[in-house]
Amino acid sequence: MTRVVVVGAGPAAHRFVECLHRRGHRDPVVMLGAERRPPYNRMLLASVLAGALPAEAVTLPDLPAGVEAYRSATVTSIDRATRTVHLDDGRRFRYDALVLATGARAVVPRVPGIRWRGGLSPQVRPLRTLDSCVALGPGPVCVLGGGVLGVEAALALRRAGHRVTLVHRHPYPVNRHLDAAAGTLLARHLADRGVDVRLEREAVRYDEGLLVLRDGETVAANTLLLCAGARPRVELARAAGLAVAGGIVVDDRLRTDDPHVYAIGDCARYGRESGGGVARAWAQAETLAALLTGGRRRYEPVPAVVRLRDPELSVVALDRPRPRAADGRAETVTFTDPAGRRHAALEVLAGRIVRGVLYGLPQATAAATQLFDRDLPLPADRLALLLGTPPRTGTGDLPDDAVVCFCNTVTRAGIVAAWRRGCRDRAALGEATRAGTGCGTCVAEVDRICERLGAEPARGPATETGRLLAVGSGVTP
Amino acid sequence: MTRTLVLIGHGMVGKRLIEALRAGEHGNDWRVVALAEEARPAYDRTLLSSYLTGGDAERSALLTPSVPDDPAVRLMLGTPAVRVKPGRRVVHAAGGERVGYDALVFATGARPFVPPVPGHDRPGCFAYRTLDDAERVRRAARPGRPAVVVGGGVLGLEAAAALRALGMRVHLVERSDRLMAAQLDAAAARVLAAFVAGLGVRVHHATTVASVDGGPGGAVRGVTFAGGATLPAGLIVFAAGVRPRDELATAAGLTVAPRGGIAVDDRCRTADPHIWAIGDCAAVHGRCYGLVNPGYRMAEVVAAQLLGRGGKTFTGSDASVRLKVMGADVASFGDAHARTPGAVEFAQLDRAAGRYAKLVLAADGRTLLGGILAGDARAYPTLRAMLGRELTIMPPGLLAGAASGR
Repeated sequence: MTRVVVVGAGPAAHRFVECLHRRGHRDPVVMLGAERRPPYNRMLLASVLAGALPAEAVTLPDLPAGVEAYRSATVTSIDRATRTVHLDDGRRFRYDALVLATGARAVVPRVPGIRWRGGLSPQVRPLRTLDSCVALGPGPVCVLGGGVLGVEAALALRRAGHRVTLVHRHPYPVNRHLDAAAGTLLARHLADRGVDVRLEREAVRYDEGLLVLRDGETVAANTLLLCAGARPRVELARAAGLAVAGGIVVDDRLRTDDPHVYAIGDCARYGRESGGGVARAWAQAETLAALLTGGRRRYEPVPAVVRLRDPELSVVALDRPRPRAADGRAETVTFTDPAGRRHAALEVLAGRIVRGVLYGLPQATAAATQLFDRDLPLPADRLALLLGTPPRTGTGDLPDDAVVCFCNTVTRAGIVAAWRRGCRDRAALGEATRAGTGCGTCVAEVDRICERLGAEPARGPATETGRLLAVGSGVTP
Repeated sequence: MTRTLVLIGHGMVGKRLIEALRAGEHGNDWRVVALAEEARPAYDRTLLSSYLTGGDAERSALLTPSVPDDPAVRLMLGTPAVRVKPGRRVVHAAGGERVGYDALVFATGARPFVPPVPGHDRPGCFAYRTLDDAERVRRAARPGRPAVVVGGGVLGLEAAAALRALGMRVHLVERSDRLMAAQLDAAAARVLAAFVAGLGVRVHHATTVASVDGGPGGAVRGVTFAGGATLPAGLIVFAAGVRPRDELATAAGLTVAPRGGIAVDDRCRTADPHIWAIGDCAAVHGRCYGLVNPGYRMAEVVAAQLLGRGGKTFTGSDASVRLKVMGADVASFGDAHARTPGAVEFAQLDRAAGRYAKLVLAADGRTLLGGILAGDARAYPTLRAMLGRELTIMPPGLLAGAASGR
């Protein structure tokens, strides 16, 4: 019998116990959640905060039968020798396998005035838990930190009618995932929606509803919403003597340096990977569930798809942590449309997306994300992919009145007419039309036209020639 | 009745005017007198570098261009015009001959711009515009010795290529942060710069030559950069752009555009109804083009008027350029810098292969407005032919996979 104890009740823990059950594990499973609420989906917090979604809407599905789930259960220590976890109320649970899914906590910037009497000032609120999403009071809101969460919160609050300022240290929002072009478009969108965006600014003090920035500017902030990132919760692991380095260190079996202790989700660190959101947490949860039920899987870093959740925006960042070793060509594909506020930049290796940013291109985003997820090659016509148009091929005819030879103003029609009169190669065509006899640049195109005409079935020349000459070049003899 | 056209200048554009006129005539409406400063008929100036690097065949084709034997055309070589009297409709040629005209066309071209830095006229400094310039450079070239080319545009790159082929150690000085700044964007210029560097040409970006320094006897010994650094060199080529040759027109009382060039309208007409200007010396609505293709278009516009078919106007913004030197292949066409309102850009860069392609499309994402190709410009003729049209064909060079099959 394997008794599994899970510390944490977030998406990683939830997915883990679910998978464990699905894979036939019927031994005891204990899930210890510190919050008083049932497990919920953190990705939608910004909408809950703004009142666009009720709190119940983000609750995760019920746990499988047989899982002993406890709420408000705070684990205070792990006794690895006896394989026991201790709770603050004196309860204790023995384990055969301990899974740490303690998640991360919001970063509280070291800005005087934010902390108050050992906690946070009442007007300061980290956006991390459902508890932090109770309705905001009246007055202006300042969102500190312009990452994904901060931007989502600023837009959602603005939509709900709040006065919102977004303060961000970097030159453009979501700088961890976006490039400068997409970030700049995003900043413009925020400004258009009425968010007061302050970039490359740092807070130095908070007092009495006023956030003071380093350059002396002040921002009205009856509520200060902290969206300055999150740090893995590692205290429990560290106190238990487990290896910690920017997260609880795990191997590709998600095992810590204690063979009976595992870590998954935001609290875990595998290789150079840490944080990285819910897709990663889910992949780790599934892998670990498989391993604990006799599977031979190994954890592999998952391709990250970071989306901004906003009804008006289509923004996605793609990042494959370990692209397949490929001797294929590396290529950068970019699309920029400043006026239409669209942008895409893809890094492609051996035909597959390794990294990418797409802004304002919903159709291309859907197609590209799918190819990225499944590690499939892009179609040859990258532009068609980005524009959502049917792909073009490398062959086809120019329009009849297209000028082929610019030196001598010879159109395709002029060349076709001469060809139909019997000029079947570059030299003969050059003599008849002067095409290709100037700078010589167009001879490749003249050759291509010849080749295509030669390949097509014969046509009645008379009417064709008459029509073509009418639009042909003035210098055609 | 036969009328007289006097053409001042017999370069590529002047020659094109004569051809277009003769091709469109039914009888002998026009007698042409062409006053040429150079001692040889028009040659293809874009091939200057192949004169230096090519074989005997290329050289002789350039040195002895064929001129059609046409009794209606009198080509006066080595006989520049020295004075124009619009009131009397007469041109004074060097040597004293006076030629009356019914129509006068300036096709005087441009002269190289030599930055007025101290020492710019020392022995060992050259311009790069005419066959005579090229011949002087060839004689001064010393294999293994350093040379400096001032100007990283098309002409400068061609000069650098030629000097490299002549065995010199070439330094190219470009004042901006990229080569061919007028035609290329930063990514394409990087591809080109990497290629050029790979051929042993040392590129000095974002700096200028502050002075040309002399040794004993005054001959060039090296240059001093704006930052104070010095570089030994026995040969300097200035390829820092050209200036329209409008002085004869100015002296004749014709209007010159604020930034130089004989002021003409979109029919290449000056304010004098008998006088036109075409090619590098002309400023169409204030703008000089400095490229041969717009010059050709101007020649055709004027020929049409002389033949009584005046409807044609010069709309030419065709600043398409393809440069093929030292194996580098770059091209720029149409609205390469996406200045059209609403224009969108699509670019593909293969850094390892040194290949870059950019398309500029209208806001609809379909109509081709321009583009830039670097490293592989085989798609250029096809794309240029599709300018202003819906991009229905994706040239193989712009399709992934197809491009690798060189």
